[in-house]
Amino acid sequence: MGLGFVVGIIGGFLIAHAAFSTIQYRGELKIMEEQFTGPPFNAVIELLVGLGLCLWAGLAVPTKFLSILPHSDENRVVSLPANLDFMVFNHRGKVLPSNPDLKLKI
Amino acid sequence: MATQDKRSDTSDFPEIVNTDNLQSNMKPIYYSRTFLSIIGGVIAGIWGFTGFTGFVFYFVVMLAASFGLAAKAKFSADSYFDSWNRVLLDGILGGLMSFVLFWTFAYDIVHIF
Repeated sequence: MGLGFVVGIIGGFLIAHAAFSTIQYRGELKIMEEQFTGPPFNAVIELLVGLGLCLWAGLAVPTKFLSILPHSDENRVVSLPANLDFMVFNHRGKVLPSNPDLKLKI
Repeated sequence: MATQDKRSDTSDFPEIVNTDNLQSNMKPIYYSRTFLSIIGGVIAGIWGFTGFTGFVFYFVVMLAASFGLAAKAKFSADSYFDSWNRVLLDGILGGLMSFVLFWTFAYDIVHIF
């Protein structure tokens, strides 16, 4: 997660640098009174590299996916995070039909 | 308490699904797509895209994001989501508005002011 942040920040810096160099380039074009056809070549490279880094960071930084299958190993125990005295286990008994109207015969 | 039943009619769908995890898996997708829409918008603005080209660029970025999300789910959406649509299509239209906002913002800063 730390690495992802660093990569994302580097990507952000590259994009910002490309923005600055494009602004400068436009200023020069205004002085020379030429048309703007596209940012300078190194700015384009910076944009693409920045896009790649941010793509990677944007996918790696958010938490990883948690399995939703009931029989995967990480879903065996469901417990309250604050109190480990109470543990609930995922088991196949949940699939059995249960009749909520059954009354306890005392 | 923490897990609930979710029954389904299709035979190959697991009858019990951990719905907590299912919902919490939506968050990384949403965050990733929003962040990448913003970054894509800034890049489109700096590059100077106007009109149709910009939207094409947005869909290219979203395609790359979908591929990345599918890879993050280890290409088996069934273990993390209830359908492939969630991985591949969710959040694209919402991100489009963020993209256009930052696209016009960056374009104005770089090319107009």
